[in-house]
Amino acid sequence: MLKIIVSRLLSTVIVVFGVACLVFLLIHLVPGDPVDMMLGENAQMADRESLREALGLNQSIGAQLLTYFNNLLHGDLGTSLHSRVPVVEMLAERIPATIELALVSLLISCLIAFPLGIVAALNKGKGWDRTAMGVSLLGVSIPNFLLGPVLILVFSIYLGWLPVSGRNGIDSMILPAITLGTALAAVLSRMIRSTLLEVLSEDYIRTARAKGSSHVQVVIHHALPNAMLPIITLLGLQLGVLLGGAVITETVFSWPGIGKLTIDAIMKRDYPVLQACVLLISITYVVVNMITDIVYAWIDPRIRIGGQS
Amino acid sequence: MKALAKHLTRLNYGLLIIASLYLAACDSPVSDAVRFGLASAPISLDPRFATDAASSRINRLLYQRLVDFDEQFRPIPALAEWRQLTPFSFRFQLRDSVQRLFENGKKLSAVDVKATYDFILDKKNASPHRGSVANIDHIQVVDENTIDFRLKKPDPLFPAHLVIGIVPAMGIDKEQGLNNRSMGSGAFRFVAWPSNDHLIIERRRDKLRIEFIHVQDATVRVLKLLRGEIDILQNDLPRELVHYLERQNAIQVKHRAGSNFSYLGFNMKDPALTDIRVRQAIAHAIDRHSLIRYLLGGKTQVANALLSPEHWAGITHTSGYVFNPSLARRLLFEAGYSDKKPLVLEYKTTNDPFRIRIATIIQQQLGEVGIKVKLLSFDWATFYGDIKAGRFQLYTLSWVGIKSPDIFRYVFHSESLPPQGANRGQYANEEVDQLIDKAESAIDPQRRAAYYRQLQQLLLQDLPFVPLWYEEHFYAANREISGYQMALDGNYDGLKAIMKTSHQQPANQIE
Repeated sequence: MLKIIVSRLLSTVIVVFGVACLVFLLIHLVPGDPVDMMLGENAQMADRESLREALGLNQSIGAQLLTYFNNLLHGDLGTSLHSRVPVVEMLAERIPATIELALVSLLISCLIAFPLGIVAALNKGKGWDRTAMGVSLLGVSIPNFLLGPVLILVFSIYLGWLPVSGRNGIDSMILPAITLGTALAAVLSRMIRSTLLEVLSEDYIRTARAKGSSHVQVVIHHALPNAMLPIITLLGLQLGVLLGGAVITETVFSWPGIGKLTIDAIMKRDYPVLQACVLLISITYVVVNMITDIVYAWIDPRIRIGGQS
Repeated sequence: MKALAKHLTRLNYGLLIIASLYLAACDSPVSDAVRFGLASAPISLDPRFATDAASSRINRLLYQRLVDFDEQFRPIPALAEWRQLTPFSFRFQLRDSVQRLFENGKKLSAVDVKATYDFILDKKNASPHRGSVANIDHIQVVDENTIDFRLKKPDPLFPAHLVIGIVPAMGIDKEQGLNNRSMGSGAFRFVAWPSNDHLIIERRRDKLRIEFIHVQDATVRVLKLLRGEIDILQNDLPRELVHYLERQNAIQVKHRAGSNFSYLGFNMKDPALTDIRVRQAIAHAIDRHSLIRYLLGGKTQVANALLSPEHWAGITHTSGYVFNPSLARRLLFEAGYSDKKPLVLEYKTTNDPFRIRIATIIQQQLGEVGIKVKLLSFDWATFYGDIKAGRFQLYTLSWVGIKSPDIFRYVFHSESLPPQGANRGQYANEEVDQLIDKAESAIDPQRRAAYYRQLQQLLLQDLPFVPLWYEEHFYAANREISGYQMALDGNYDGLKAIMKTSHQQPANQIE
């Protein structure tokens, strides 16, 4: 297990370094000048030049890249070109919001998907199955930019139960988490159904039934654990996506997460903020994948053994 | 199966009970403060650096400036009155009738004024406002309330540039960072900026709090207003949402004319567009009245010049280019275009949905007279980069917050080609250059205004751009709000007089 973790950590460092280089170069290739975005239309040539000099943007790309890595190694992610606030502070403000939304969304999706997927699998071809999969299809088909406002209209405007948007207490998290969790639940329930159906046709399930185990015991103790491997992979990938920021949901609900910060940084060509966001997202992906692999190995002994050999 | 279903049912009931208990404990959205919905979050509360509209408008509430403008955009005394000593120097006298206390209790003096402008003029501080006051040679404090500005070259319109909020001399060091707090002497004081999307300030007079709440999505902003999570919002809504709000009994919607000028720009180096008949055909093909009626709102005014008719140098009596598709077709025919040989043009705009809608309608109107328009939309940074570099045939943009007519040099003088200026269409007209020079050097204000009017008539005739409209301003608020007046340039100064029914005034009011 330790070997797996060490090898994953090493590859993480390489991937993150590669991503940092690539992002830096790509950002500087994109048309649009951050100085123009900052100064607006009325600024004069001298202002632009002096600001460009003050921000170090008049240096060559190579020199800027070296400065960037030098600062990065010293834990300095730079300062926002627009607000002049340290990027670390901006990320520190956004990360908790992103994490809490991601985890609650994942929890909601599990609470919806597991009952839906299990009921559908156990009633294959029957009315329950068709209903569950119909609901799942609906969930995956409704885009977040539509579901979000509809939920706001129903639960905030008509019923008046929940705030429309913002991050102000747990109640403000419910609607964005449901919006995000619904699509994920739809995909997840389909995955649970299909893997469970596959596992339920295995010989060891028949053996368990022949030994007199009850239907519930067979499903909970034999079928579900064996169906978990692909589900965990999907959950891991989805968690990575959620932690990377859900731009549409964050925009609709004015949720101050990483996704919105990233998009704003792209629009304003705020290089330091954008570089830090993309770096953070890539690290999140790699770490979540690493944790998924470790959990995978922990659940399935064949992977541990394969890793050791 | 039954047992499993029972497990799941128990779980669902449990969740339902928890949710119900929780929701019963949720706060209602009632607040004593005025909550102002913003489409864009303010970026900086430091007037020496802020350039975005939201920050500039909020900074006007927190900081005072030497000079302000009346409704005709004439410079008027704010913190100070002035007189011109020589063509090269102005004396400013701080007014005793104005409350001049900084938030730290210190009185604003001439030293603070000098420190603020010296900071902006210092190249190493990289203030984006340096260019606007670059004509200052040096500043001299005469006494506590008197300060002299010495210029590098004569400029009768110089006072109009002194509109930057004055910060205290002792907080002038950039390292102390005024960008996320404030130290002003304005009608409001800074309270807190708990998140990027939420800023709280307080009116000094009666401690009424204003909470600026950033909600990017227009629909959600409207829904928040309906639910009472925000009390007022101003501009930045599509027309259909404004109509929707107008039908709500709980909401009041007010409109007023604005001065932000929208136009269709031409690349004057483009072979097709060098022909005046083509530019005139385009101007006659656009039905601005319909666009205004169906898309922009009743208080939007058709524009015939860059400066609005209310401006002291604006033109009032001109009909401009009327919508006349048959004349447009004839002009195109005379220019050598027909159905067999149609004029094909590229039209660039931003990816803002509202701007794309306007561009699509203009595309369709031009199509009806035989001009094939290829519409290209980009994010702002890419679009702006293209426009500055002259990579366009047609584009639409707006000039926002224009007060001083020295904009004409920046936009139309042949010496103002990018990157030095904003003459993006590379327009060159000797007569225009001469009129700009004459207007700028005219001492007599009436004579200066006459030159600028003559210049605008000439521009309308020569058509380096098609003037479109001055977009209206509107606000929508719940019935608790009263006393809010919108400004011609869309600033938030109306908050100085705004009232909210539920706000309890403290016994010890501060004047």
